[in-house]
Amino acid sequence: MILEAKNVLYSYKSKRDKIVLKNVSATFEEATFYAIVGSSGSGKTTFLSLLAGLDHPVSGTILYGGEDIRKKGLNDYRRHHVSLVFQNYNLIDYLTAEENVKLGGRRDAEELLREVSIPREDWKRNVLQLSGGQQQRVAIARALASEARVLLADEPTGNLDEDTAGEIIELLKKTAHEMGKCVIVATHSKQLAEEADVVLEISQGKLFR
Amino acid sequence: MNLFGRAIRSCFRKPVKSLLLLLAVCMISLLFLSGMASRSANIAVKDSTRQAIGAGFLLEYNPANRSQRVDEACQKISELYPDGQGSYDGVHLEKMTVMGSESWMVTTDNSFESLKSDDIEKIAAVEGIADYNITTVPTAVKQANFQRIEDADADQTNDFQGVALIGNRDMSMDANVLSGNVAILEGRMTTKDDTNVCVISEELAEKNQLKVGGYLQFHSVKAEEPVQEAAIVGIYQVKERMEPYMSGDTYRSENVIFTDLHFPEKVEQDDPLYEKAYFKAANVDDYDAVKEAIKKTDIHWQWYDLIDNNGNLDTMASNFNDLEKISNTLLLAVAGAGFIILFLIFVFWIKNRTNEIGILLSIGIAKGKILLQILTEAVLIGVLALALSFLIAPAVSGAAADYLAGQQAEQAELQDDMDAGKAATDYQAPELTVTDVKTEITSYMLLVDSLSLGVLIVLSACAASVLIFRKNPKDILSEMS
Repeated sequence: MILEAKNVLYSYKSKRDKIVLKNVSATFEEATFYAIVGSSGSGKTTFLSLLAGLDHPVSGTILYGGEDIRKKGLNDYRRHHVSLVFQNYNLIDYLTAEENVKLGGRRDAEELLREVSIPREDWKRNVLQLSGGQQQRVAIARALASEARVLLADEPTGNLDEDTAGEIIELLKKTAHEMGKCVIVATHSKQLAEEADVVLEISQGKLFR
Repeated sequence: MNLFGRAIRSCFRKPVKSLLLLLAVCMISLLFLSGMASRSANIAVKDSTRQAIGAGFLLEYNPANRSQRVDEACQKISELYPDGQGSYDGVHLEKMTVMGSESWMVTTDNSFESLKSDDIEKIAAVEGIADYNITTVPTAVKQANFQRIEDADADQTNDFQGVALIGNRDMSMDANVLSGNVAILEGRMTTKDDTNVCVISEELAEKNQLKVGGYLQFHSVKAEEPVQEAAIVGIYQVKERMEPYMSGDTYRSENVIFTDLHFPEKVEQDDPLYEKAYFKAANVDDYDAVKEAIKKTDIHWQWYDLIDNNGNLDTMASNFNDLEKISNTLLLAVAGAGFIILFLIFVFWIKNRTNEIGILLSIGIAKGKILLQILTEAVLIGVLALALSFLIAPAVSGAAADYLAGQQAEQAELQDDMDAGKAATDYQAPELTVTDVKTEITSYMLLVDSLSLGVLIVLSACAASVLIFRKNPKDILSEMS
């Protein structure tokens, strides 16, 4: 077990009475592809944010390798232990594809770009000149650059057409199964959920397996 | 990729935001430098009422600086004494009640008003100065053994009922003699080796049947003792009556008695009061070089005006009306406005970079390092902007100082027009015409400018970044989506 959510309770600061996650507990293993599904507003993204250390729960803990991530330090946790992929790619717009990947960590950027099938001629191009699918591949390459053991993705295929989405799903599967990473994806996509090893559903603040 | 690498790329690949900051910093820097240059500008003015005669230079007190020093001393007195009455540095402040109403009387000692002997000596020692003269202020004293000339019909109520002594180190260089208005009729003029001698008018000699070799006795206006005696060494005549220093017969032309330099202070029993010093150039051809050499003398130049034979004098901006105050106000306004402008630019920067900040936070880069990247970019652009402003500053500061000095001169002219016809109750500043404004951008100014801009940039960037960095990463990422 690499990551664990233990009795996580979460509500928005502005609406304390509206509880988004009610004592949610879950464990995540390496080399496994997880899909978290649920209706809009069910708390998928919030749960992913808590796992990513972008926010912290009202009560309960997130454990990484058995240690509370807050004790570890959230910046350090995000820098070395988890990596993130977003629906809208979130690449830095004044950097090239290669520079964006280098931002993620020390792994060889060229090798990573090759792994995610970005043509060599696009490596030095500004990311805004790439297609949506290519941008998402660059984002995944950046996520892989840090050697983090957990990859969290929030609707990674949300802005992509079916074919490109399929390619990205394959890439995520490969990341889990060939690279041995724990891949957790929050998604609406049935196609993606069907490809996952484990599907978790969030409904009315509770997590169901 | 480290933050410096990101900062460089952001500066050059996002040129609009960089240009915006570059222009703002450049403008603020130029205004700062202009303000500082104006504050210490050297303003050449022409005084139509005062000018040295012949190949010489005249040293007089700068009236604006004198007023400023009186104000400062009064301020100090009010701080030192609870009732506001007292003395400080030769200035006395006294409360008076006249006809039931209170008023304040400011008096000064001769030591406060007098040109400083040390400074005169330093100028006299400049190479190219052949000789020099010191002239005292016309000093009212009482005659003991002769009668003065009086206008029976004139109102003498406020007059001292005495005569006026003008002491000279060397009478041949007195302004009245140099102008040709006063000439010796009989005997000789006073010289620097004389003591207790005087030269009287032909009218006074005639009225009292006085001759060269005779003696005149005087005492101070305040007390009849001690009486001082001066030997008459000459009798003078005038082409045109000398302009009286003040109203009343004490100062009428016929009652002016020229003496050796120290005789007036002996009679008055007080410190000497030197009103002007005249320095004669050895060679007319070297006049300008001598003037430059004099200006380099290490004396309190802010106290004085050095007037040449055309009436030109150099005055520091701080002495020129209120130019220093205006420059200081400009500097404060620029600092305030500069902070607001830079703050708004950084707010614009950061709002437009929410996406980037969110990404950097999501990959574990600390808020402090992100702020440091923004500051690095601002400093890189700031350095370029400063370099640009340093290149343009001499031209801009010259124009700014010219404009400010011109405005001040215009203001003074307007004030003169408004004051025309009013009775003079206090010292009247001489009429000055600005002929040239010289500004200099010193390395000290560049240093102060750089430091000020640095502080402004850091403060405004930190203040603007608070708007986003107080949020947690998830909220910033939510703003992005």
